Amino acid sequence: MLSLVLALPRFASAQVSPAPATKTHTVSKGWTAPRTPDGQPDLQGYWTNLSFTPLERPAEYGNREFLTEEESAKLFKQGIQHSYEFTYDNPAGTPVYDATTFGLGAWQNGVKPNKRTSLIVDPPDGRIPPLTPEAQKAKASRVVKTRVESPEDLTLGVRCLTFGRPPLLPAAYNSNYYIVQIPGYVMIEAEWNSEARMIPLDGRPHLSGNIHRWHGDSRGHWEGDTLVVETTNFKPGATPMNANPATLRILERFKRVDADTIEYKFTIDDPSTWTRPWTAIIPMNRAEGPLFEYACSEGNNDLINMLEAGRAGEKPGGQGKQ
Amino acid sequence: MRGQMRIVALRLALLAVGLVLLLTARPMPGQAPVARRPSTTNEFPPYKAPRATDGHADLNGIWQAMVTADIDVQDHDAQAGPHSDVMGAYGAWPGGQGIVEGGEIPYRPEALARKKENAEKRMVVHMTNDPSRHDTGDPELKCFRPGVPRANYMPFPFQIVQGRDSVVIVYEFANALRTIYMDDKKEAPADSWMGWSTGRWDGDTLVVNTTGFVPYTWFDRAGDFHSDALHVVERYTPVSPYHIMYEATIEDPNVFTRPWKVRFPLYRRMEKNIQLMDFNCVEFVEGMMYDKYRKPASQ
Repeated sequence: MLSLVLALPRFASAQVSPAPATKTHTVSKGWTAPRTPDGQPDLQGYWTNLSFTPLERPAEYGNREFLTEEESAKLFKQGIQHSYEFTYDNPAGTPVYDATTFGLGAWQNGVKPNKRTSLIVDPPDGRIPPLTPEAQKAKASRVVKTRVESPEDLTLGVRCLTFGRPPLLPAAYNSNYYIVQIPGYVMIEAEWNSEARMIPLDGRPHLSGNIHRWHGDSRGHWEGDTLVVETTNFKPGATPMNANPATLRILERFKRVDADTIEYKFTIDDPSTWTRPWTAIIPMNRAEGPLFEYACSEGNNDLINMLEAGRAGEKPGGQGKQ
Repeated sequence: MRGQMRIVALRLALLAVGLVLLLTARPMPGQAPVARRPSTTNEFPPYKAPRATDGHADLNGIWQAMVTADIDVQDHDAQAGPHSDVMGAYGAWPGGQGIVEGGEIPYRPEALARKKENAEKRMVVHMTNDPSRHDTGDPELKCFRPGVPRANYMPFPFQIVQGRDSVVIVYEFANALRTIYMDDKKEAPADSWMGWSTGRWDGDTLVVNTTGFVPYTWFDRAGDFHSDALHVVERYTPVSPYHIMYEATIEDPNVFTRPWKVRFPLYRRMEKNIQLMDFNCVEFVEGMMYDKYRKPASQ
């Protein structure tokens, strides 16, 4: 078997602070990630990052990063139960989701227990750090409309513009990914909105600041068995949590830790928005393919329904639906 | 004066005679033949592509068609385009030679009538919260997925990703994508805009079989359409380091009297550090599609 070591130039990692040392999943003894024909650690296949773990740590856990076995089992059981109830509360004929036919429930989609108290592992309290004064001011000045008057009043996802990646946060459904590796590229397809990210590994520079992309623009390189992806060039108005596209950098790390698990770690670094960078770890678990096409805008009934409801509410004697 | 003019006239006559002789030059018996310019048909000298990591011909790269078939897959003149009073040359559409083998699409008579109706109403936008939204108008106008083979002749690049178990094609237009399953031959589990594709190799040609289409895509802006019985067989053959010869056979007994074929080269994008850009046209069509549901300004 060829054992090529991928000798790519180490990518100059500018202002992104390295993720602090956090207990990560250790590779099982004697297990090494297989290689692709061109020597990359193999991340290929279908994966899901669905879990019942919240992004931010509930206050009662304090600085505790891990659940006990009992706590983990209990939370997982509760999550499955809620998911099961959701499915059967929403059978064919309900106006929102036909969960029984389309298998939208987490319990049907390969959700696994997660031993962590929260996805965020740094800061140590497991919560998003405070906003900078600049970001607080921007937040306060944002108008929150109570009635939908135009498409711009809805989220980018409801408008089928983007579902906010990176980072790869779990989706309520269709939280599945398909990774394909070829020499010089890693492709990550996300099922929810059928979004494909092409990540070049050839050491090319980032795009100039004059080009802005809906999912930013990513560059990857291997550090040992970890794929490190840096993303910049975000589009104004399309950043996670209203981060500043001019100063935002997202760092992602993918490491296959056993046959059925990739450890995915992301760091959000935007000094204009948060007082410090923050990091989360989300396991990606082996899932069953294929991915389905998610033709969002082709069938965006939601948008019309919400706008119509907004207009109905404005009529005299209208329901006042919001 | 007159004498000088006669000299000029004589020189011109000599020049003309010389040109005639040059252009009609034939070898004298015993001489080597005059070199002929190469033919400009789409013929390439024999070529063996390098191997990709899957052991087959390497089709990886960023490719783009140069034909104007997205406007009309058949022969078409240049035309003014919509709202030419404002758009001028920006909005005008170029002419082009068709890509249909034999020139004409073999429509069933009732289907030809529907194609003409499609063309007349191509810019009608009638958004509803049910599938009747697809009954009228060119889906491209609304930034809907282009289907197959139209996605391959849109004026936008696409990237072929030749992986271990599948070949994925990612399109710049609307971030459309399709997965060609190389190892799994099961049937389409659900209908989709880009269809369900399985592939195999025929020597160095990637042969792709696609079914499971929704009936809503068009082949071009000229109203050429299909039903949900559409079946497309494509052939991707590398013919030089910089060209793939692309062929697609389109079959739909509900619409056409027989299968028909399109054929044109795909060109490798050679710019340094070339990558796909975003063409998330959903942003650009939102007003057109949903303005009628927007709160009126007067309220």
